[in-house]
Amino acid sequence: MSPVLRGRALVSGAIVVAVALMGIYLAAGGSSYAPAKTQDPCKHRPWRNPEGLEQIAEQFSLSALDGAACKLGVSRETLAQALATPEGREHFMQRYGIDDAELARAIRAGLLRAVDDAERAGALSPLLAVPLRQTLRNIPLDQAIELINDAESLLDKAQSFLGPAQGLLEQFLP
Amino acid sequence: MVLADSSIVVLALPQIYRELDTSVAGVTWVLVSFNLVMALAAVPAAHLARRVGPGRAAAVGLAIFAGAGLACAASAQLSTLIAARCVQALGGAAAVTAVLELLPATVGSERRATTLWATAGATGAALGPAVGGILTQLVSWQSIFLIQVPIALAAAVPILAVARHEAATGVLSTELRQTGRPHLLANLALAMVSAAIAAALFLLVLLLIEGWRLTPIGAAIVVSVMPLSALLGSRLSRLVPSARARAAAGAILVSGGLGGLALLPKAEVALTVPPQVMVGIGLALVLSALTETALAGRAPQAIHGGWTISARHAGVVIGLLALTPIFTSDIAEQRQDAIDAGTAVILDSRVPPLLKIDLAQRIESRLEEEKGRVPTIGSAFDPLPSDPEERSAVVELRDELQEQLNRGATHAFSPSFGLAAVLGLLALIPIGLARRVDL
Repeated sequence: MSPVLRGRALVSGAIVVAVALMGIYLAAGGSSYAPAKTQDPCKHRPWRNPEGLEQIAEQFSLSALDGAACKLGVSRETLAQALATPEGREHFMQRYGIDDAELARAIRAGLLRAVDDAERAGALSPLLAVPLRQTLRNIPLDQAIELINDAESLLDKAQSFLGPAQGLLEQFLP
Repeated sequence: MVLADSSIVVLALPQIYRELDTSVAGVTWVLVSFNLVMALAAVPAAHLARRVGPGRAAAVGLAIFAGAGLACAASAQLSTLIAARCVQALGGAAAVTAVLELLPATVGSERRATTLWATAGATGAALGPAVGGILTQLVSWQSIFLIQVPIALAAAVPILAVARHEAATGVLSTELRQTGRPHLLANLALAMVSAAIAAALFLLVLLLIEGWRLTPIGAAIVVSVMPLSALLGSRLSRLVPSARARAAAGAILVSGGLGGLALLPKAEVALTVPPQVMVGIGLALVLSALTETALAGRAPQAIHGGWTISARHAGVVIGLLALTPIFTSDIAEQRQDAIDAGTAVILDSRVPPLLKIDLAQRIESRLEEEKGRVPTIGSAFDPLPSDPEERSAVVELRDELQEQLNRGATHAFSPSFGLAAVLGLLALIPIGLARRVDL
């Protein structure tokens, strides 16, 4: 092969190899290999077969987070990280320019959405939902945050609230 | 050794970054300072070599290089390390340009000397990170500089004989003829392709160590693919006489390899091998072709060699300074995206709620311990629950979380690799423009 042809073959070979490698990596998903995108908290997320108080409480917390995040215009994950510690909450409120009253309103709205979702999923009886909504509408901010972190205690309290009807409650909660 | 030195600390940077308590942008200056001084000092050093004699210039340069190496190893602060690296580069510039004047007498012909010098440059650049990684892991980052001291002094011994001869006779061994201006297009292409190659080495090492959490020695083994491929590239180089074809093919291969690294479809070491092979072969082809072209038919060799050194190191500086802010901001952004994705995985996992809260707290402390680095979170899950169902849910959660972190770490480097690929492709412009001057 002449020196000129060898030169051309080398350049052509380089182009083919470069295009082939990038094509293969693109086809294998190279352009989309990134962390999963978080979901829109304003979209309804169906509950996942809640069994027992613990799992109902968990789904309740997730719905409440979605509702509050939707109200604040942030992701559920951002809000969950913010509410994990007092410092995280402070940082979050500063970053997004939110005051206590606004956060409280959002969390209350989230908790009310969680009650709606629980009712829709058949995990909470309307009998229990009505007084729960009433309690949640006036709940202070710190307690509201506490409830998102520990919804089980809310449902426990609801049981105590009903007092003598506790036996009946077992029928309402699956 | 001097040409390997511009990249030898790459694998030690993460350790220097932690030990000297600095930032990624700050530690980049350990590399930038050396390359910047080399770029600025190479041509003046070559003139000095012609004035005082290449033997003396090389001997003094190597002595300064060795002394500054000791100072680098003794540095306890980033500022002193950077200052010592600057002095090291001054010595290196004097030695490497003066040696080019001495080589023809040693190897028999100017052409052979040029080829040998250009190949040494390409091999040094590719070999540096692997050697640095092994030394960092087996001994410490300081050992990278300490080991250079006896090597530099040993190299200075035979050169001293030349220096003594120069002093005794008062005759410089350099020819005083002067032919041609610096080859602008070849040097411009060298700068562009060097920017891309520096980015390939620097970013890949950071991805392996900081992103995928490989040990320095593990990363050194991985990046040794590049020097091994460069050897293959050198052999291939001999089969094609046209320097322009070799330069073009080399630039395309370097860019293609970087494009591959920008499009990694998974956080797997094996997937970095094909792009590295391309970059390795490409750098051997393009660096030697452009260096030979820049030196061909020109004299004095030291000064034209100085221009190629200057162009290469200026390219490295441009590459590092252009890409560092991009990937540091991408790392911060992707870290947050990965944490958000990880939070979603935890919230939606099948792990019992109370265990989930406990795990979330442990993961949070791991993130805090790592101070902004991409963490390995395996230890946050130990001990695994004894209940088989819970255990399987926790293992699934752990793997999914690590996957999200790997995705974030890998994706953070993609734009920088992509930009480096573009820099490599830009080198094709001066290579193409040089058609008439038989590049």
